[in-house]
Amino acid sequence: MTIHEPIHEPIHEPIHEPIHRPLHRRILLAKMGLDCHDTGIVTVASVLRDAGYEVVYLGLHNFADRVVKTAIEEDADAIGISFLSGQHMTQMRRLIEQMQSEGLRIPVFCGGVIPDDDAEALKAMGVADVMLPGLLSSDVAARVEGLLARGAA
Amino acid sequence: MSDAAKQQPAGRARDYEEQLFETGAGIGIRALYQPEDTGDFDVGRDLGEPGDYPFTRGPYPGMYRERIWTRRFQVGFGSPQETNERIKYLHGQGANGFVITIDLPTSYGFDSDDQIADGEVGVTGVPISTLEDMETLYDGFGPDAVSYALSIRPPVSAVTLAMLASVAERKGVPFDKVIGTQQNDPFYQMSGGPLQTVTQFFPLDGTLRLCVDNIEFISKNMPRLNWMVTNGYNLRETGINAIQDGAFTLGHAFDIFRRARERGLDVDLFPRRASFFLSCSIDFFEEIAKFRAMRRIYARTMREEFGATNPECWRLRFSVQSAGNTLTRQQPQVNIIRASVEAMAAVFGGAQSIHLCSYDEAHGLPTEESSRMALRTQQVIAYESGITKTIDPLGGSYYVETLTNDMEAAIRARLADIGERGGMVACIREGWLEREINAERIKNQKDIDSGRRNLVGVNRFRIPPEEEVPIATHKIRADVWGARRGEYLRQYRAGRDPQAWADAMAHIGRAWKAGENMVPALMNAVKNKVTMGECHEAMRQAQSWSFR
Repeated sequence: MTIHEPIHEPIHEPIHEPIHRPLHRRILLAKMGLDCHDTGIVTVASVLRDAGYEVVYLGLHNFADRVVKTAIEEDADAIGISFLSGQHMTQMRRLIEQMQSEGLRIPVFCGGVIPDDDAEALKAMGVADVMLPGLLSSDVAARVEGLLARGAA
Repeated sequence: MSDAAKQQPAGRARDYEEQLFETGAGIGIRALYQPEDTGDFDVGRDLGEPGDYPFTRGPYPGMYRERIWTRRFQVGFGSPQETNERIKYLHGQGANGFVITIDLPTSYGFDSDDQIADGEVGVTGVPISTLEDMETLYDGFGPDAVSYALSIRPPVSAVTLAMLASVAERKGVPFDKVIGTQQNDPFYQMSGGPLQTVTQFFPLDGTLRLCVDNIEFISKNMPRLNWMVTNGYNLRETGINAIQDGAFTLGHAFDIFRRARERGLDVDLFPRRASFFLSCSIDFFEEIAKFRAMRRIYARTMREEFGATNPECWRLRFSVQSAGNTLTRQQPQVNIIRASVEAMAAVFGGAQSIHLCSYDEAHGLPTEESSRMALRTQQVIAYESGITKTIDPLGGSYYVETLTNDMEAAIRARLADIGERGGMVACIREGWLEREINAERIKNQKDIDSGRRNLVGVNRFRIPPEEEVPIATHKIRADVWGARRGEYLRQYRAGRDPQAWADAMAHIGRAWKAGENMVPALMNAVKNKVTMGECHEAMRQAQSWSFR
């Protein structure tokens, strides 16, 4: 059996030195369910590494128990999940339920192809931010920084 | 942030008219092309006649004067019953070609009631767990009357092919009358990218074996059924450029052909029904040149390297989908314009079938309204624009011929590189492809951040969010669909003969271990009510392999 281990090494070497490394914080990124569109999340992993974060990317086909267990073991400061094929409501509900049952209180954000009304429903469910297509790298980094700051406040 | 500030491009995106004179893949573009720029271009050798070697001007002699490309409808959602009703409606409106999209659990070989399918049943396509599901899809039609292109890959395509053959038998349709397409790409079908998609739930060697089993079964029994070996579309959607697209797509097809030849299949027979599914992106002339160059490389490779003497085996035929990754969520109606540009490039490139993305695809699954708009876009091009009325209208253009030559040389150089690495399958196994893809994805984002690449509505010409028009999206009822399918499968399993089922499961194991072509064993299985998921479990067990 092939198990996709967390990838710690950078997917590529950052081209630019990050302007500031304020946090040295660790972000857990994962795809959930059977969706396998990973362009967005691989790009976000690179953007966040360039912005000075430590990123643990869990790969595809994760379910809530594994994401939460890894977040606890890796002492992650936030969790980010990406969707393209319409699983966002089911999987985020499962993830938040699992976080509650494990007592894990860190910000969770998601992104991808998500209709506007679902994005609102996700926020109402407790998702800290929903990042929709068409963001520049600087926007992504700023929004992650923002949700971590709110989480710490 | 004030509205005025929001309208400014963020980051380092430029707001002045600076142009880069190169194609998306980085081929330099001159101010003007003159006869001497085409180099040693030879009209007889490099262009030829439409429908003749090397097929630069198109795969068929009459092209769109004889037959406009197929405008396929993409259908598949909820359940086989709902999908069949939709097909009947569209058939009544004059459509006879359909791309059937399959939901994710089925795409990985899981039944709708598998725990892993939670929240995914019927969402991105139709679920197919039983032979009865396939019969439902064909309710009202024989597989000789309507053409279904099933978006499916091995190992699952071996089971869907067995189901299709069983439907034909039950409807009394001889195998040699069966039409349609079975997509059969072992690697790129699951959105092209990570190796994990093709290794997590089934062993890779088993997947490759079933791919060749399908090619063998189809080429020996169903001469009118297309099989699509290369889903270059999903590969391109990962973000690679047009040169990589051409090279990785062709390299993969040639590698699979070599495996089919090693199986003893005749190179003058089996490639006749091979076809390609390709992306048409936004860089207009580069895409046209890509299609023309790919046809030429394919023809030359099939004749000179594979030694095929049957001209049908030299002819690259392809269907096109416009590039989903060029769509924006911002100002989504602009995506209609992008799809129009891409559709015209596909027509100038000589496509046999076109499907355009709907303008709302960055918001959610397309609606009836947005799908209709995508079809109407094609109809305007086909019936109003007049660009179909002569064959290869750009043939002989100094620029297009030069760019076709440049693309051919660049794709050939990458193919040689892939050959030195042991072929495309080895490049995929070793992780090389994934590294190439990831590097290109990150470059794309940096190019949009810096404004090196323009994206209207994202890094240029933005509007404040409150001016955006609200978009209605297709509503997903995954919980309802999943529950209904769960109940259906419970009854299906309760209604079968346990001994016949057990015998059919054992037969799969024996056939696998004996190295037989698996399609007949899978036909026997589905006729004895073995489900999609159970077929896969039996094949995994035969390989002493488990993922759970």
